Amino acid sequence: MELQRRLVHTSRGRKRVEGLALKFLERIKSRSQPIVFHPAVFIGGFVCLGFLFALQSWVSYRTMNYKISLVLLMEAWGVQFLIWGVICWLLWLWLGPRIQQAELPGILMGVLPLSIAVTIGEEMIWVLCFPGWPMERKAMSYWQKVQFQLDAEFVDNMLLFWCTFFLIRGVGYYQKYREKEHAAAQLEIEVVHAQMRALRMQLNPHFLFNTLNGISSLMRVDIAGADTMLEQLSSLLRITLERGEIQLIPLSDEMEFVEMYLAIQHQRYAGRVCEKVRVEPELHDALVPAMILQPILENAYTHGLSLLDRDGVLTVEARREGGLVRLTVRNTGVGLNPEFTRTSPGQGVGLANVKNRLQLHYGEDQCFFLDAVSADTVMVTIMLPLQFAMSPTRKLTGYGV
Amino acid sequence: MIHAVVADDELLARQKLRQLLREEPEVDVIGESATAAETIELVRVAQPDLLFLDIRMPGMDGFDVIEALASEPSFTMPRVIFTTAYDSYALRAFDIHAVDYLLKPFTLERLHSAVENARQQLQGSKQPSAREDEAKSNGDRYTQRIVFKSRGRILFLAVSEIRWIGAEENYVRICTQSETHLLRETMSRLEERLDPQMFLRVHRSSIVNLQFVKEVRTDADGECMVILVNGQKIPMSRSYRARIQDWLHR
Repeated sequence: MELQRRLVHTSRGRKRVEGLALKFLERIKSRSQPIVFHPAVFIGGFVCLGFLFALQSWVSYRTMNYKISLVLLMEAWGVQFLIWGVICWLLWLWLGPRIQQAELPGILMGVLPLSIAVTIGEEMIWVLCFPGWPMERKAMSYWQKVQFQLDAEFVDNMLLFWCTFFLIRGVGYYQKYREKEHAAAQLEIEVVHAQMRALRMQLNPHFLFNTLNGISSLMRVDIAGADTMLEQLSSLLRITLERGEIQLIPLSDEMEFVEMYLAIQHQRYAGRVCEKVRVEPELHDALVPAMILQPILENAYTHGLSLLDRDGVLTVEARREGGLVRLTVRNTGVGLNPEFTRTSPGQGVGLANVKNRLQLHYGEDQCFFLDAVSADTVMVTIMLPLQFAMSPTRKLTGYGV
Repeated sequence: MIHAVVADDELLARQKLRQLLREEPEVDVIGESATAAETIELVRVAQPDLLFLDIRMPGMDGFDVIEALASEPSFTMPRVIFTTAYDSYALRAFDIHAVDYLLKPFTLERLHSAVENARQQLQGSKQPSAREDEAKSNGDRYTQRIVFKSRGRILFLAVSEIRWIGAEENYVRICTQSETHLLRETMSRLEERLDPQMFLRVHRSSIVNLQFVKEVRTDADGECMVILVNGQKIPMSRSYRARIQDWLHR
């Protein structure tokens, strides 16, 4: 019975030890810290510092004409700093974030006594390692030796402890600063994405209701026409929904959308407008913001082509110019009339939206301008950097009997 | 006369199809069904030539209906035109040799072309001609239909409707009588699929359907070109000239 209990107890104890060891290991692993806190770097740094001190004291002994072996000095200083390194690293591991969070009272009540204890402890270990020191003196007891070492090095040791303490705090502050900076950048990206989503969303309903209105009016006079327009609208919605929230799409997809949009408008304007679309074949896979052209086209209809009762011409072109894509939409109508544009509210919304999106996607690497190329023709030009999709998606295609 | 059955779980959808089919004098709707089980029963009894089939129906789906019917021995399967709001079944429908795949809502025009395809297939199966046999023997090696998505529609395009094909970098443009479609495909891959008896590569970047070639001409500058029946000019490389001359004088 007793034995059993003891067995249970020891197994429990072992488990606890194992648990602690695991926790300890996890703590080492989980703290992805700057390279300074890698044990090899941290302790190695201390030992190097020790060697430097050894060299310095060797040189100063030499200048005083006192001969001592450099190796001996190296050993003594090296071990001293090795012990310091190990102690400080373990303290860092043990205290962790508490070093960062400690306030002045905590430092005075906790860290100060700790520093004294560590200083004494370190000298105790060191004396154990070098029983032959101090040399050329009468034999001393262990505690006398410790006393002797402390007399000589207490201030130095305290200095070393506090320097390490503030170094760790300094690195912590730096890290926190970097984290904050990173979070801010991340937030900025997210805000931009949210804005882009919002801007894309504005396009769909606007255009959708206009077209539905068109169908509603058409179905009173031309059932087949309304039917066609409904089919076109569904097709358009289908590919828009399929595309989801993807921001950049191949130009071939954007142009497919444009062609469908133009087909609907063609129906709506009953042959009063002739539409032309020209795309350089090498640009089919170039990436452009989804539905970037639709507001411009809509603008061309509402403020230009709709004012003509026949022979309207709308040209959409995509050309490559070096490392840029030039998209142009040209339409006939009444030209650019500042008076007119000012009196039509809402006109700016679509184009402002386009400008915002270009700005969000490409920063300053893009341009957008609207000008009158002749008395009755207005042209919108967009220039954007030429980019290609990493892996172009193949759409459904199949062969068979 | 084509006897047709309309299977769709929605009354309005059936009504619309019935109404549109009134414009097709050759098609006679002999029955309607609203569930998969009803459809199987109706088709078994009425033995229609053509089945307009919705895919998502209560109980089983459209493909289950076809599977159930196909498993019956000595039963002639009707031709199937799928009518659905979902585009994700297109390849499957293509693989089981459906006549067409209509995405709802569709227009009379689109329905008409589907019915036309069905009519041709039905005629073909009733009186197989010599040409049809020839096509069939080549059928294993060469494609007769291409399925693809264009402008939000699913097309089962018979290659015989293609007039010519132009290369545009990583894409090909397929031109039919009334439309053009941009496909992400290479010329060489497409050329492999096409029957050389019907299609001829006349240029690095163009393939023509010989059925639509009117003449081959060399203009004042010595440039060769192929003229299609609709008057369209397609540039031709000299190296291909002999091949097409051969064909024209056959």
